Amino acid sequence: MNPGDTARLADAAGAAVRAASGELRLVDCEAVLEALASGGQFGESEPAAREAARALLPGLLAGHPALAALESRTGRTLYYAPDLLSRTYARILDRKGSPLLLMAEEIRLNSRDYPRPVPVELFQASPFGLASEDIARALAAMAADPEYRDISSATTATGAVYLFSTRHLERGYAVFLAQRAESADMNP
Amino acid sequence: MPATPGGFAGKVLRVDLSTGKFSTQDTFERYGEFLGGTGLGYQVLWEEVPAGAGPFDVANKLVFATGVLAGTSVPCSGRTAITTIFPSCWPKALVGSGHMGGQFAAKLKYAGYDAIIVEGRAERPVWLFIRDGHVELRDASRLWGGGIRRTTLEISQEMGADCCVAAIGQAGEKLAPMATVVNSMSHSAGGVGGVMGAKKLKAIGVQGSGGLRIAGDREHWERLVKFHLSILGANNQHVVPAFPSPESEYYNPGSRWVGEPGKRWGAAQPPVEITGSIHDMSRISYRTNSAAYFLGEQAWKHTVRGNGCTSCPIRCHTTLKVPAMATKYGLNEIAQGTCIALNFGRFFFPALPGGPKGQAALEACMIGMNMADDMGIWSNYGQIQRDFIKLANEGVFQAKLGSAEYASVPWDKWRAGDPAFLLDLIPRIGERRGELGNVLSQGSAGPFDHWGIPESSWEADHATTYWKMGHPKHHANEDDGQCGVIINTQYNRDAQCHSHTNFVRNGLPLHEQKRLAGELWGSPDSVDAPGHYTRMNPYKAQRAKWAIIRKELHDCLGLCNWMGPWVASPLKERGYRGDNSLESRFYSLATGRQLDREMLDLAGERVFTLHRALTIRDMATVDMRGAHDRVPRWVYEDPQGAQPFSQGTIRMDREDIGLAMDMFYEIMRWDKATGAPTRAAYARLNLDAVGKALADKGLAPESGK
Repeated sequence: MNPGDTARLADAAGAAVRAASGELRLVDCEAVLEALASGGQFGESEPAAREAARALLPGLLAGHPALAALESRTGRTLYYAPDLLSRTYARILDRKGSPLLLMAEEIRLNSRDYPRPVPVELFQASPFGLASEDIARALAAMAADPEYRDISSATTATGAVYLFSTRHLERGYAVFLAQRAESADMNP
Repeated sequence: MPATPGGFAGKVLRVDLSTGKFSTQDTFERYGEFLGGTGLGYQVLWEEVPAGAGPFDVANKLVFATGVLAGTSVPCSGRTAITTIFPSCWPKALVGSGHMGGQFAAKLKYAGYDAIIVEGRAERPVWLFIRDGHVELRDASRLWGGGIRRTTLEISQEMGADCCVAAIGQAGEKLAPMATVVNSMSHSAGGVGGVMGAKKLKAIGVQGSGGLRIAGDREHWERLVKFHLSILGANNQHVVPAFPSPESEYYNPGSRWVGEPGKRWGAAQPPVEITGSIHDMSRISYRTNSAAYFLGEQAWKHTVRGNGCTSCPIRCHTTLKVPAMATKYGLNEIAQGTCIALNFGRFFFPALPGGPKGQAALEACMIGMNMADDMGIWSNYGQIQRDFIKLANEGVFQAKLGSAEYASVPWDKWRAGDPAFLLDLIPRIGERRGELGNVLSQGSAGPFDHWGIPESSWEADHATTYWKMGHPKHHANEDDGQCGVIINTQYNRDAQCHSHTNFVRNGLPLHEQKRLAGELWGSPDSVDAPGHYTRMNPYKAQRAKWAIIRKELHDCLGLCNWMGPWVASPLKERGYRGDNSLESRFYSLATGRQLDREMLDLAGERVFTLHRALTIRDMATVDMRGAHDRVPRWVYEDPQGAQPFSQGTIRMDREDIGLAMDMFYEIMRWDKATGAPTRAAYARLNLDAVGKALADKGLAPESGK
């Protein structure tokens, strides 16, 4: 593949990733390859060109200035366009297949960065979209799994349940922050 | 005479209600040094209202003042400051101001006036008619005794649909300290309604057909307006959405940016679904839904639209339609409001069936908005509701009211959380009916004065959130540690300062806030995580000073301090930076007079210092530290006994707050012992005459200690 073809391949691959990001999808190299093929990128010499592209794509996507990558929960490298899909949102999309991981990592991130506990209802809303039974199941599973022993909950005076990670928040502080969040609308 | 700079309408209208005479003054020549708004109001009070004048005395004046940016296309510039001797300040009324948005400021400027100074007292009820240069006092006898809605309607019918009416209701007529003036249906200024009532001024109707000149280059101006729009968040300048979004790296469930794509204004005709990019500058108005923020998911189906001030895209006064209001309560099914006014009815109940976001809560809010904004009742930032609950729960009403009056109150409805209770309670307050209505209509001063309840019992009770001088805290240590405490010591009513809280509540994670804080105030340590406060440092004092001065500047320029300053933004590509010089950039372009950030801040400091001087003069003491800048006891206590600076408490340390005040006085160049500006401090701000006048009375220290 000559430099011109390589540049065209990089552009097309970038466009394919952007299109996927616009549809809130993360894609790996194979999915990009598939998108390129269905878009007629390889023409008549498809098998050879496709193989050449398969070899080049990881480098091209990794070096693409408008794209970003993350290592998925299954170990694959997934690509997205950060101007269309934030890293935070991309992480959520990646973990959607695993409610335990999805909830635990989101709880940990919130406890670490903001810092704050999160209301349990957060996981029912978009983009998490978990049913209350799924959330209850995930919480029960976490309670029994040493890998998630840092995930804990606090119940406010009004009965609202907030979730936090003891790796990043002490219980007393988490309770305070939960109470504060719950009563924020009384302090406008 | 210097030419009027751009931005100003040019004239101040003076209305003498005693004589019925009108006059005008050149705004810039006479008041330009104090910018407009509260600055203009303080100047009038300093020069014209004698020390010791009471709020309802003929000698008191009422100054409706817009600012240089009001009526222009600057976003969030619809504010009018109403400055006067403030009735709810206890035990002695002192200078204060109420602030309202809506359309009044722009209409007044289009009529040719930057401000109205109302003086004297009319013999009979009047309303002020302003149509461009045509000004007259008209008989308001037929309106007296009626609500704000009817007054607005009748004056609008008389003047034409394009007028704006600012009116008082029954509470103002009866000189209630808890009275508002309201324009544009829901835009109220608290505390000042009774002063209008004392002057027998029912309303001001204003219609303007003129325009405003912007001195600077048009393209430059429009570029700056567009830039300002680009760094706006949602209400209170919350710069991240409440929901995870593919377009945002951060989210915060506590954010007021609740307008998520897919949500619907369900009561609009036809319903409107929020679509498109959350960053689209032509769709900023969809970000904020105050009703959904306060009342949860159910509010969306009742949402008609967002309403708000001239040239403000935030639209924080959410309009709701709840058909049950007409059938169940005989009230208008439409109401609108934001923040405390939206919650006026709900906050009277310690508990409501269905919880704080249930149907009863919604109906209580609707009743409250409808009735309080019609009778013109002020909540004193929710203090009237907290006072009511405390007095009821502690049996004070039962002990103090006559048995017949006590029995006439439908307490069963209150205990059951029945919103219909408000149909009985609100008119009692608005009409100052009976002992209960009379006491509550005075604010916290009511139980202190009328029933001899010591202020200390309010100061000791965390649940009251009472601060001092008849008013509650307004974003104090619960939000911002020592900065919040300092700010809450400085005014004669609740501080109404949002500069600090708009930053700490902006929704960004702590490391981003600290990075921005380092750039803005010299150290990341100028900001703490909420409830995890560190000891006082000079950077916090710097930030407290910045917050107060920007608040005062906004009140002078006609900008909204519920939105500004805009020092953080939703823009990742800007590192979430806003623009700390935005106010001075707009001021310079509008007026053609170049003032950089430091110079404009200095002008704001001058205005704030004049407020301090007025307070010192009228309190007749130089001991601001001891007599004025007080901190209530509950700030130094924790219900669970947690120690100051431990995680999970807002408890402050007495010694540390002493140090905080020292640092603040020092950075203001005031005398540390008394907290009063020194002669040198006045001189530095071109307030020599003010300093001298106070020094002649022994009220200005010669030098700081």
